[in-house]
Amino acid sequence: MSQRACITGKGVISSLADHPNKLHHALCRGQCGLNPIQLFETEYIGGEVPQFDARVYLGEGNLRPLDRIAQLTASAAQLALADSVWTEDMRSEQDVGIVLGTVFSSVHTIGAFDQIAVRRGPRFVKPLDFANTVINAPTGQTAIWHNLRGINSTLATGAGSGLLAIGYASDLICSGRAAALLAGGAEELSFEMLFGFDRANMLSDSAESAVPFDERRTGLALGEGAAFLMLEAVDQAQARGASILGIIRGYGTAFDPIRGQDADKLQTAMAAAIRAALAHAEMSIEDIHCISASAYGSPMGDRCEANAINDVFGDQTASLPITAIKSALGETLGASGAIQTVALLEHLHQGVLPGICGFKTPEMGLRLPTSSNKNCTTNMKNGLVLSFGHDGNLCALVLSKA
Amino acid sequence: MDIQRVVVTGIGVFTSIGTGCSDFWQALLNGQNGISPVESFDTSKYNVHVGGEIKTVSPEPYVTEPQKIGRTSQLGIAAAKLALRDAAVDLASLDLTRAAISMGTTSGEPTQIEEFDDYFVGDDLESAGAEMLNLYPCHHISAHMASELAFMGRNTMIPAACAAGTYAIAHAFDMLRLGQADLALAGGADSFSRITYSGFAQLKAIAPERCQPFDANRKGMIPAEGAGVLVLEPLERARRRNARIYAEIAGYGLSCDAYHMTGGHPEEAGSVSAMEKALLESGVRVEDIHYISAHGTGTPTNDMHETLAVKKVFGDCALKVPISSIKSMLGHTMGAASAIETAVCALATHTDCIPPTINLDDPDPECDLDYVPNQVREHRVGVAMNNAYAFGGVNASLIVKKFEG
Repeated sequence: MSQRACITGKGVISSLADHPNKLHHALCRGQCGLNPIQLFETEYIGGEVPQFDARVYLGEGNLRPLDRIAQLTASAAQLALADSVWTEDMRSEQDVGIVLGTVFSSVHTIGAFDQIAVRRGPRFVKPLDFANTVINAPTGQTAIWHNLRGINSTLATGAGSGLLAIGYASDLICSGRAAALLAGGAEELSFEMLFGFDRANMLSDSAESAVPFDERRTGLALGEGAAFLMLEAVDQAQARGASILGIIRGYGTAFDPIRGQDADKLQTAMAAAIRAALAHAEMSIEDIHCISASAYGSPMGDRCEANAINDVFGDQTASLPITAIKSALGETLGASGAIQTVALLEHLHQGVLPGICGFKTPEMGLRLPTSSNKNCTTNMKNGLVLSFGHDGNLCALVLSKA
Repeated sequence: MDIQRVVVTGIGVFTSIGTGCSDFWQALLNGQNGISPVESFDTSKYNVHVGGEIKTVSPEPYVTEPQKIGRTSQLGIAAAKLALRDAAVDLASLDLTRAAISMGTTSGEPTQIEEFDDYFVGDDLESAGAEMLNLYPCHHISAHMASELAFMGRNTMIPAACAAGTYAIAHAFDMLRLGQADLALAGGADSFSRITYSGFAQLKAIAPERCQPFDANRKGMIPAEGAGVLVLEPLERARRRNARIYAEIAGYGLSCDAYHMTGGHPEEAGSVSAMEKALLESGVRVEDIHYISAHGTGTPTNDMHETLAVKKVFGDCALKVPISSIKSMLGHTMGAASAIETAVCALATHTDCIPPTINLDDPDPECDLDYVPNQVREHRVGVAMNNAYAFGGVNASLIVKKFEG
């Protein structure tokens, strides 16, 4: 593991912005991307990407084979490829790969395909849709669109998928298996996904009650989006004269086999994931200058996360700036960890960590003094990203600005 | 840090022709057929009616609370427990925070969304999916396995369609090499799916009766279900506990055609690249490969392109290397297939036996290699290669070596 994976580009599509810098400023202004969902009939609000039109990013080619999540994925990939200056010509010479984290993938396409078979008969289903019923379809479609002939991997570990995809990709770079990988996550808002969360009683009924760490929180608002980092081996990036934006220092995971049913066990596992990331990064708690929390408005999950941060950082927690962006963007599941990472890299470069959108009332006993709706302006080099699935698969990652 | 060597110390399979390593292997060597009429849904509106469902055994007895999880998770748990038993792993001696699971799948828990679709079409959503969030998304498969076994290490699901098993094993191989886990369960699982069946039927890719890879009259693949799980350990740990070692994982190669979602590359570029990467990492020459477990779905185009790809990589050696497709017996177990086939490669090196390609009656002039037709072959297998290709243009080749210390 002589190599480190460096970041040479980033791209994001979200309900608030389609550029990391714009997203950073929207978050710093306290803008909220949660609105009534337009994609399908529902009373709930969500972080829908407004008037998403993939042609803006992908041009006038035939987009018909790509469903919404594939279009989000290919669009964010385009932004990261452009940002890292991996041109079409370069991609025809050298293999670039892609690692995508997602939870529901093309569930709406899958459901609609099957519903035609049930309603009208199997001879009426569309072959073009069948190609999108495999869970790795957005990854495959994006590879075809951008001619990505390297490793093509899709990871599903729950809401931590997008962050783990970045960690997994950094291992592939460090061990010399790939020279350049797009790594990130994507999720589309769908009726099927909302239905599942609604039935599980995990949704909040207003933006005010979906604010991380806030006493009034009752649950989450769903969101959608996609984000990618371009990761490369440092020596290759330098050799091609790419600008290096940041370095992946390390990551760690933990799995709670009780799957979030017991607060103490969940908290212990969260702390274990953070410690594993610090150990992998060969860093101590003093080296971490800020945190992008996973918190999404869950009464128990957010409390466990706050306690886990305290468990690891102890007295230092009081002076540690912490942001949480899901009250601005919604819980974007497989995309969330990747969006957080892209945003945090921008926060590090701007020297400003945005406050938590809509945060008003700290919860009694929740020892997170820095979580407020005010931005924190400070010199930061290393940041910790947390991406914790409610069902127990937990990931933490340390990155540095270059 | 030293890079660890990684070995296969346990095999668990759950398939239509046998469960558990030795029963399954014997069935394969006997050329047993696992194809039968589809029973899990009504096929009267389809042109085809057969599949590779597992009918005579149920995975439920392996699961503490089977009613709380989907069938793919059940299959994964059954295969995992069989693999751990086969490896004689003492769970009490295992640091469970360093016990990892890496699984592949094509469709995850498709019957969960199919049930939702039935209610949706029947305008009865009130009855649908109270537990959908905890049952459907595919990451629950590896998570349910970990909950059943109290494994707290890295837990990853890699949905890479029909190459997913190899992708998952490759990931576990890397984890162990890099010292991120002490032991990993790695493999793939898929349950029989109406969605998959509808899609392949519409592509006219399903054979009406038999799966006949490389035969001149082959009529297609046959959807099936199953699970395959390997116990992988660093060599040092396996040695310390005196484990039986089936084989060593030597290396792998992954690539993408970036050409077509469901069809192969016209010049086999991706499959050639995957094989070449695997050979390079493993440090073996093509003449050292004594067996290739083919993707061998039985569709006209797959088998032809796969034959051409092997010729491109193996040159003159292509005519000498035995190649077989166990999909002739099992049908296509989707995300489980390449995991089961990796197990087959390990067993081939361990026993020096090669399972046949059954139903190969009339050789196709365009498929003119040695496909081990219809009869088991005893043949020294020092090194074996497993090839898998998938929707999304995904290609994976993995090489296992006979373990010789």
